[in-house]
Amino acid sequence: MTSYSSGGYFNPAYHDSETLEIDRRSSSKTHHTNPYAGEDPAWRGDRAETHNTFMGQSSSDDVVPRGGWQEESWRGRESIPMGLISTRPGSPSWKHGNNHSTFQINPDSQYDQSPPVRFPPPASGHMTMRWRGMTRRRMSMFPNTDLAHLVLTEDAIRNEMENEEQDLVKEFVALSTQDRIRAIRDLPMSFEEKKHIRSQVLAFRSSKQSRQFTCFADCSENVSLFFRRCGYSIRSARQTLELWQGIMKEIGGKFGTSVLSYFMFLKWLLMFNIFSFLVNFGFITIPLLVYDPLPNIPPNVSFRGLEILTGAGYFNHTVMYYGGYSNETLMGLVEYNMQLAYFFTIAVYMVLCGLALIFSMARSFKTNYVLAESTSNGAWQLLCSWDFSITNERAVRQRKSNLRVQLKESLSEKAQMELLTLSEKLKHFGVHLGSWLLSTGLAVGCGASIYYLCQYEQQLATDGANWSLLQEAETLLVPFVVSLMNLVVPLFYSLFYKFEHYSSQRTQIYALVVRNVLLRMSILGVLCFYWMNVVAKKFSCWESKVGQALYRLVIVDFLFLMLGSFFGEFLSNVIGTRLLPRLGVPEFDIARNVLELIYAQTLAWIGIYFSPLLPAIQIVKFFILFYLKKVSLTQNCQPPRRTGRAAQMHTTFIALLFFPFFVGALSMVAYTSWSLTPSEQCGPFRGLNNTFSVVGVWIHDLEEIPRSQWVVWIYQHVIRSEIFYFLITLIILVIIYIFWQVTQGRKDLIGLLRQQIVNEGKDKSFLLDKLQNFQKSHPNKKPKPRNPKKHTKRRSDDRSSGSQSNSNAMVQALLARQRLEEEEERRRAGGVLVPSDISTSSAMMQAMLARQRAEDQEEDLHQMPDKHLSSSSALTQAMQARQRAEGQDEYYSTAGFSEDPVNGSSAVIQAMKARQRSEEDGADDRDDPASSVSSVMMQVMQARQRAEEEDRIRWAPAPPQNPAPSGSSALIQAMLARQQAQNEYDDGY
Amino acid sequence: MGNKQTIFTDEQLDAYQDCTFFTRKEILRLHGRYHELAPHLVPMDYTNDPDCKLPLALIVNMPELKENPFRNRIVESFSEDGMGNLSFNEFVDMFSVLSETAPRELKAIYAFKIYDFNVDNYLCKEDLEKTLNRLTKEELTPEEVDLVCEKTIEEADLDGDNKLSFADFENMISRAPDFLSTFHIRI
Repeated sequence: MTSYSSGGYFNPAYHDSETLEIDRRSSSKTHHTNPYAGEDPAWRGDRAETHNTFMGQSSSDDVVPRGGWQEESWRGRESIPMGLISTRPGSPSWKHGNNHSTFQINPDSQYDQSPPVRFPPPASGHMTMRWRGMTRRRMSMFPNTDLAHLVLTEDAIRNEMENEEQDLVKEFVALSTQDRIRAIRDLPMSFEEKKHIRSQVLAFRSSKQSRQFTCFADCSENVSLFFRRCGYSIRSARQTLELWQGIMKEIGGKFGTSVLSYFMFLKWLLMFNIFSFLVNFGFITIPLLVYDPLPNIPPNVSFRGLEILTGAGYFNHTVMYYGGYSNETLMGLVEYNMQLAYFFTIAVYMVLCGLALIFSMARSFKTNYVLAESTSNGAWQLLCSWDFSITNERAVRQRKSNLRVQLKESLSEKAQMELLTLSEKLKHFGVHLGSWLLSTGLAVGCGASIYYLCQYEQQLATDGANWSLLQEAETLLVPFVVSLMNLVVPLFYSLFYKFEHYSSQRTQIYALVVRNVLLRMSILGVLCFYWMNVVAKKFSCWESKVGQALYRLVIVDFLFLMLGSFFGEFLSNVIGTRLLPRLGVPEFDIARNVLELIYAQTLAWIGIYFSPLLPAIQIVKFFILFYLKKVSLTQNCQPPRRTGRAAQMHTTFIALLFFPFFVGALSMVAYTSWSLTPSEQCGPFRGLNNTFSVVGVWIHDLEEIPRSQWVVWIYQHVIRSEIFYFLITLIILVIIYIFWQVTQGRKDLIGLLRQQIVNEGKDKSFLLDKLQNFQKSHPNKKPKPRNPKKHTKRRSDDRSSGSQSNSNAMVQALLARQRLEEEEERRRAGGVLVPSDISTSSAMMQAMLARQRAEDQEEDLHQMPDKHLSSSSALTQAMQARQRAEGQDEYYSTAGFSEDPVNGSSAVIQAMKARQRSEEDGADDRDDPASSVSSVMMQVMQARQRAEEEDRIRWAPAPPQNPAPSGSSALIQAMLARQQAQNEYDDGY
Repeated sequence: MGNKQTIFTDEQLDAYQDCTFFTRKEILRLHGRYHELAPHLVPMDYTNDPDCKLPLALIVNMPELKENPFRNRIVESFSEDGMGNLSFNEFVDMFSVLSETAPRELKAIYAFKIYDFNVDNYLCKEDLEKTLNRLTKEELTPEEVDLVCEKTIEEADLDGDNKLSFADFENMISRAPDFLSTFHIRI
């Protein structure tokens, strides 16, 4: 194809120009606008004009052969000027005599390789398969069509479409309303078509129903319509209530989906907390407040302001903490057992949280992880990574350059990976090991130091009700240190990546996340341990103390979050823009910020038992945080340079939230309620051995009520029996195993199916090759009977058969001639003596000879140069051959033929015949639109003339070595003959 | 609901709600946006289905599309005539497919159309080159563009015909979970 690159088609610049692109597209369309009507658009005419006029006409239902053919027709056009340009004899650029053959063969092998066999007609049966099939059919129908459709007429296609539509309607009618609406929505058609189908379905339904009880049908129709409208209104209302829609859109538009996912997560957590607040407040606090609206605060305790930070003092006696709740049965309108209410509210809330997390995690895993593969990274970057929601110009620009950098990196990464030596690998491993040890050590160290700090604090603290302000302020020490560690150590961790070299961005992020999680877990673990083992034994109302500690942690954490966004984002923005421009504007670190949220939420979960109203604080915190982060983001940050795979990150975060953190909090609460003795003096569970025994007491009470024996039975035989849990565990394990096996099986199946697709592809190309070979070996059978007007098709056949191509037979002849002239020249230079009478004659004659010889060669006959060269009669022969040829060129008239006196060698005759044959073919084409043909002809002739003139100029200086016997009669004859031919030719126009 | 001016009849709104992923309010908002684009061309009253189309140049000037590198292709793929003239119904269609709730298959079909610049039902190298040039401000060298495109085809082409058919594309999309969230325009 190298010889081709000079042509327009493979010139990239040509591709990039829009107008030509359109031109080309439409040209291919126009060319085949209607292959059956027998009209042949003037394909050889002025390209631009024709195409523009035809552009509007290319309607959607025209049948356009795909792939190879349109390229073919296009290419054929291109080849004419190419050939002509190269007619210049001896022009230095004409070096690729050999390439010429590739030029002829290659196009077939390349373009015909993929006949458009695709999208088999949809098999009836499964619904989704069906419409998907239809989709594809439609998709393939509009711009182009496949081979099978060539045989069909437009009517047939329309019929088929209508049939399909009818089938579709029938299928939809059978569905329930809900499913039907969903199915219609999912149809990949335009709204008009969907509406059409919908109305048809509705009409069909109503006609069917009218045959049944009309009144009933009417009613049910109306009712269903009413419900549907209700549903839509509810959806509308829900959308109106949706928080922060505008802000979300703005953030998404400026920073992309990955940053947006942080805010979504924040919003999700906020909703979670609102829910838990409502539950706790509704079932625990409100009944108490209704019963006893005033908190029983000792007279010597007053509100001092510091409580807001420490949560101690005044708050200690309110419903904020566990201690504020009574263990009585509230006697109002109904009896309300506070103990049970407290226990069950917390328990149910925890269970609901767990379920919600599990479900959202599972769904997220299903969509984001199961099928995701990291292998198709490049394709992903190119085709799936662009974020359509970005609307900010700066963000778009930045994203583009980021993508460019990423692509470049991924290109260089591939090269780099292979160059890694063993020592480098060892070095990397060492660095990884070192940083992991260091980070783990840090986490453990933090935990240990927190423990000692707590012990120190515990020695200071007294159980008294009245603390001085200083004492109260001292309690802030632990939360302060904890939050400081949470702020500083992650920053330190993020320095590691300067030394570590991870193979991919994702591993790096995950490593960072895991380290941070370790840190937070160790800190929280130590705190919990301290609360369970030390605080629980020392203080009289220890639950409230733990609640206070958690309150302080939450509040101080909030302050540090604000500080964090001030230092982390605002300051580094100032530094990056003013002081050290090389640092640049900071990015929004999604991983760090999400971990902060997770940590905050974990605190709230742990605290739910000790301080039931902690979610209220959490709501305020998240609410403010949202705006804070939003402002900080828009003011200070730039979109993240690496967008990673946001969806997978999101899944990871939910998983993290669930696994170490929620499960940790849950086990902490469960341990507390099962094993620890509640404080004696305060709280709903005072006087009990453990919190859970409240259920036992309740059951004991129930035993006296005869109708509730079944509850007792369930408690005795299900809740308290080990066998039940044993069985449940066993069953769950078995189910997990089965599902795991099913998953494995599906994975294998996916692999197999994929392999099958690959095999099909191979089969396809193999069959195509076969078909092509077959076409080559039977060249003349196909084209004529099938579609005599379709020269594109035939041309490809002609070319593959090796006979002269009809469309540019002239060009080929000229090319061949030139090749021979080259050879001739070479031969002469090589010292082969050419008889003098020829070499001395004019260039004309040589040209003629060469031409003749070219024609000989084309027929694969033996050259007989001696014979032609030796006698002057051969010359005349050549002349006449030429004359005849030119005569044919014009009209394909045989006027000059009969007078041909010389019986030339059989070779010449054969050559003539071959030419004639080719021109016969050409004549077919030529009589369609005369003007276009003539213009091409004219071009050809002109080019040829020019070439011959050049011939002359070039050869004129040569003669001096061999004096010219100018009087040779043969020459005169030849000249005359030529003149005559030329005259005739001119008359023709 | 008690609007001073009826833009759509209830039946029309039902049809929109049944056939797209939008609620009544969103449809009305969309109409507002559409009307905003050319207040003198688009009537406020749509009860009798007026035949009104807005040209591509107006639509790509929406802030949602303005900076999108594929804006012209998006609009073209949703217009019936392929030239980018959108009627209101096609306009709704476009944002319906690009909405959050549209299923993956539907999105994939239209994404494929958008990337298929030369409308030959295949993503060939030429299409990918154009995509890449639009995504990277045309700053990559031709060799790099070539390499990236080849890599992409190599990775995603299952049947070995050196171009991506819809099946290849869909297969790739199904393994790229982010696609659902990124092929999404908020209105």
